[in-house]
Amino acid sequence: MRARIALLAYLAAIVLGTTVHEIEVLALGLVLVLALAGRDWVRILRRACIAILLFNLVVTLSYGVIAGLQGTFSLAFVVLVNLRVLLLTCLTFLFVSRVNAFEALAFSRSLTYLFTLAYSQSMAFKQALEDFRLAFKSRRIEQVGLRDRYRHSASMAVHFLDKSLHRATEITQVMRSRGFFDA
Amino acid sequence: MLELERVSYRYPESQPALNEVSFAIADQQKVVLLGANGSGKTTLLRILNGLIFPHHGVYRYRSEPVTEGRLRDRSWSRRFRREVVLLFQHPEAMLFNPTVYDEIAYGLRQLGTDDLDGRVRHWASQLGVEPHLKRLPFQLSGGEKQKVCLAALLALEPRVLLLDEPTANLDPRSTGWLVDFLQDLSVTSVATTHNLSLAGELGDRVLVLSEGHELIFDGQMEDLLGDEEKLLAANLVHSHRRGRSRDRRLHVHDWS
Repeated sequence: MRARIALLAYLAAIVLGTTVHEIEVLALGLVLVLALAGRDWVRILRRACIAILLFNLVVTLSYGVIAGLQGTFSLAFVVLVNLRVLLLTCLTFLFVSRVNAFEALAFSRSLTYLFTLAYSQSMAFKQALEDFRLAFKSRRIEQVGLRDRYRHSASMAVHFLDKSLHRATEITQVMRSRGFFDA
Repeated sequence: MLELERVSYRYPESQPALNEVSFAIADQQKVVLLGANGSGKTTLLRILNGLIFPHHGVYRYRSEPVTEGRLRDRSWSRRFRREVVLLFQHPEAMLFNPTVYDEIAYGLRQLGTDDLDGRVRHWASQLGVEPHLKRLPFQLSGGEKQKVCLAALLALEPRVLLLDEPTANLDPRSTGWLVDFLQDLSVTSVATTHNLSLAGELGDRVLVLSEGHELIFDGQMEDLLGDEEKLLAANLVHSHRRGRSRDRRLHVHDWS
């Protein structure tokens, strides 16, 4: 029951964080989320910053170029977008670290099933990613250049794409076999 | 050559993976590391390869502690990475070059080796992958990928070869070939397996990790086979009903 209430509170906070457009309110929300994280606030903030870095960089730069060319650039807008993404990510990491999602979704068999599938996929990928990282480290005798890093990333991407397709096919067959698609 | 002194390791937010493990491996010794799934075999190999570091205890390679700080020393790290190599359980993780040739040449190019082409062709021929030199590594079968990875590692002429479940993805013929090949190599080797019937073929000395992540046996295969208590503690044997009989006996499955 507690987990379900936490899920509802999380969803409400997500909606609120998406609809509010005042920087001060979002900043206050972020402070509140970090305060709720207690001793974990540094870890959650660091993880959130790393997770959103690429996305926010692409969005900010794209906006900067387009708005700059049109003469409509607004620093307040850049801060608002970045702050909102950071708040929502911190909120999600806080929710995941504090609440058992399986328990929270227990009211719906389908949602629990889908969440289990997504979770098992992400765990499998996490392990494979660690294998790739360590194998590359193990074979690196000298400092490697950009070309090797690019090749390694490309090889990893191909492997994950291949594995995703394979697992998606397998999961679909499992779901069909267990009657998930039956009326 | 390799020495572990009361080494413990714990993954973040998880149970211990290794608990106070100690042993020493001499030059040219062939060791097989036995243990059930999740006993800590892979973790131990990763420590021996300097990829992760013990939370407690010391790991020494040729009497020198292997630490993160030591591996920041480029000349030491270069020597260590050339001399101590690891064959990962899933070879896909090790392959990222455009051709099999480039894969085998990868380490040699970093070292600036003379006669690169000769060395690549020599090891490709030793491992039977010479016909695939121009192919994309990820197009190969599992066994072929493993051979390419092994060729790439052996081309460095390492002193220590670490093998993580080297026969796990192989068919019986490839398994037999690999066992013969490894026996003829003159390197120090540590191979992990959970297959008791194969262990004696992969090494002269056996180390056993229990499900409690402790080293519970260090000795000869014959002695281990006579120790039912250890075999059970390490989850290396099983019993089940045979056919319609109610008779249950501890065993492993083997044809020999």
